[in-house]
Amino acid sequence: MQLRIDKVSKQYGRSVWGLRDFTLEVGSGVLGLLGPNGAGKSTLMRILATVTGPTSGNVSWNGTDILREPDSVRAVLGYLPQDFGVYPHLNAMEFLDYLAAVKGLDTKPARRRIEELLVMVNLSEVRKRPLGGYSGGMKQRLGIAQALLNDPQLLIVDEPTAGLDPEERVRFRNLLSELSGDRMVILSTHIVSDIEAVATDIAIIAGGILVAHAPPENLLHTVEGKTWEWTLSSSELPEAKQRFLVSSTARRADGVQVRVIAEVQPAANAISVAPTLEDAYLKCLSAHRAGAAA
Amino acid sequence: MSFSPSRWSGCVTVNRVRVIYQLARADFLERVRRYSFLVTLGFTLYFGYLGATGRIVLQLDKYRGAHNAAYIGGFMAYVTSIFLSLAGFYIVKNSLDRDRRTRVGQILAATPMARISYCAGKSLSNFAVLLAMVTVMAVAAVAMYFLVGDHSGFHVLPLLSPFFFLTVPAIAVVSALALVFETNGVLRGGLGNVVYFFLWNGLLLLGVVQFFTQTPHPFLDWTGGFTLDASLAAAAKAAYPGAVIMGFSLTVGSLQDAALHIFQWNGFQWTSEILLSRLFWLSIAVGVTLLAAALFDRFDPARGTPLLQNPFAAPLANEVADSTRTPIETFSAARLVPAAQRFRFGTMVAAEVKLMLKGQRWWWYVVALGLIIAELAVPVAVRGQILIFAWIWPLLLWSAMGTRETRMETSALIFSSPRTSARQLPAAWLAGVFVAMVTGSGCAIRFLLAGDTGQLFAWLVAALLIPSLALALGVWSGSSKLFEIVYLLLWYIGPLHAVAQLDFMGVTPAAIAAGIPKFYLAATIVLMVIALAGRKRQLRT
Repeated sequence: MQLRIDKVSKQYGRSVWGLRDFTLEVGSGVLGLLGPNGAGKSTLMRILATVTGPTSGNVSWNGTDILREPDSVRAVLGYLPQDFGVYPHLNAMEFLDYLAAVKGLDTKPARRRIEELLVMVNLSEVRKRPLGGYSGGMKQRLGIAQALLNDPQLLIVDEPTAGLDPEERVRFRNLLSELSGDRMVILSTHIVSDIEAVATDIAIIAGGILVAHAPPENLLHTVEGKTWEWTLSSSELPEAKQRFLVSSTARRADGVQVRVIAEVQPAANAISVAPTLEDAYLKCLSAHRAGAAA
Repeated sequence: MSFSPSRWSGCVTVNRVRVIYQLARADFLERVRRYSFLVTLGFTLYFGYLGATGRIVLQLDKYRGAHNAAYIGGFMAYVTSIFLSLAGFYIVKNSLDRDRRTRVGQILAATPMARISYCAGKSLSNFAVLLAMVTVMAVAAVAMYFLVGDHSGFHVLPLLSPFFFLTVPAIAVVSALALVFETNGVLRGGLGNVVYFFLWNGLLLLGVVQFFTQTPHPFLDWTGGFTLDASLAAAAKAAYPGAVIMGFSLTVGSLQDAALHIFQWNGFQWTSEILLSRLFWLSIAVGVTLLAAALFDRFDPARGTPLLQNPFAAPLANEVADSTRTPIETFSAARLVPAAQRFRFGTMVAAEVKLMLKGQRWWWYVVALGLIIAELAVPVAVRGQILIFAWIWPLLLWSAMGTRETRMETSALIFSSPRTSARQLPAAWLAGVFVAMVTGSGCAIRFLLAGDTGQLFAWLVAALLIPSLALALGVWSGSSKLFEIVYLLLWYIGPLHAVAQLDFMGVTPAAIAAGIPKFYLAATIVLMVIALAGRKRQLRT
């Protein structure tokens, strides 16, 4: 199982680039695609889902060019877009029945799978109610169900936890972990904790460019021994923000506890702490921006 | 710097005029920067070109005015008024809809903006868009004078004043009407588009009545066109005493009017009665805008008619309480029934039919059934008339074809499925054909029983043509409006008014005798190719 993205670029208008010479090879497991807003994540997702084509470059699925033969991947694809609509007069069963027909699924097994998927995403009790009355979180769960309708080999989910409550987020993360064993999952988000929980591989994208691609442990290694915490007064905080890459701050009774990423100990009372993926992500982005500015 | 609530409350006491101006400006800019505006403007330019090169002729029986500045100005203003009073409505009836769809309305609703300010801004924006088109036509009128005019003298006032006094109040009314339709939950969608078509017809008839009764009444003349016709008829009769003018017509074609008698018309005498009548229509526009403000729900989805209102507003209106909760451990993806690929076209067609009919109220089926029974029961002489109405009844079902994926934002889900063009599109088309065949089934049975193969062939062609037209226009325009307008016009002029060339249903004997259905069969094939090309384009982009 292999997805190969080769020098893919997407240009909007004359001067706006959604993606630029993006190259990546993905195997089975969960690829977490991280990046700030507007980084090009959704553009890449849409290209991989064959909803839009790139301006240049190639994408192949198990050796087949999906730009020329999009149906080769569509048959095994589950796609949850960042924004999608529903038919408000249909209920969940009817909507999924319709999409099962569109995806070319055998009616009887599809019907049983729909029933089970609705239980899985916690919509079975409201499955007969018109979708026009669903909340944002319920629609998102319906979107997850439709993405799993055809038991996809390639599951592409774009900001899947948007609108989900914490309990549902945990359920969805567990589901992704469970699914990833024998298939490929591409999870795009800017919520680092979602990726941290499930990703076996991480790609960081910024300004349409691939900034890093590595397993989580390798990324964590880049900030090993470079993450510090100490407490300072509120008046010292602005200066600290200017001098260091601040990962987080927290108010304490004795001042403000800051967490920074720095090559050397930033203050006499700063202590080295275990890095998180968020620290690694921020450092990666910071280095990319410094490089771009230079 | 400190935050002061009192200073803030002073800030939100905004100037109403500024609010109206900014609302109108933002809406206008959003519209004119869209590709669709350029297309509309291009069409207006083409229309202006037809006028400027003398390809649109206004005839009063066998008479027409000499092409002096006054006649050209009056004629072009007349054409613009008639054109924009119909097409203009459909062009600008999307202002509130855009704010609903983009959810900007939710933001605006949370501001101190008054409903009257919002509606005034939107009405002004509608007016500005139409005024841009009037300007194009006014420039075309100037060009027409130099291209086909009689060069008897270029007089600016007689040339341009009809645009100002006749067309501008007419488009002000259109702008306000489009807004009031959008503020009403029932008239907001396709039903409103149909209702307006008949309202437009009715209002024009008021003018036609004055022409034939020879009692000009400018206060009944919304577009100002019939005030012009009456004035032209008086000039023609003055030039040709004894001339009998029974009617007037706008003809599109080349200027071959050697057989026409030419008379001089030197323009309007802008009498106080005419000016007051135009002011009257301007005040109607203001009144209709005020009515829109009264009806405007301020994007509150709890107001309006749930089953007829815009589906985009529905989720907030009837949101279902998400109380279902099961423990986190109770499901497993591994336990799911495996999915099996086995595409069945029949299942796909059934799904499309279900999708098409879902949400229809019980009375829709009652009327459809009544029409089928009537097709079976009425005398042969009126059978065609019943079919005409049976095939306008599902208009809104057909007009959703090809646009549903865009309107409901499901295109990413549908288009990422395998072989969409080869599977879903033909299935959607067959669903439309199915609706046409069922609603017209009474006539088909009678044609079969009577062995009337000619009528049956025409019936079949129409059942294939209607969904093809809907799909082609829907896929390319992304909106149901274009089909609603085109089909209504075709239906109104062709089958209803028995113009054989446009009688795609074959209800007039002349159409059957002339073999018109064969042409529409060819058109059906072309339209299907266009629809398929449009869908392939959607899939590529």
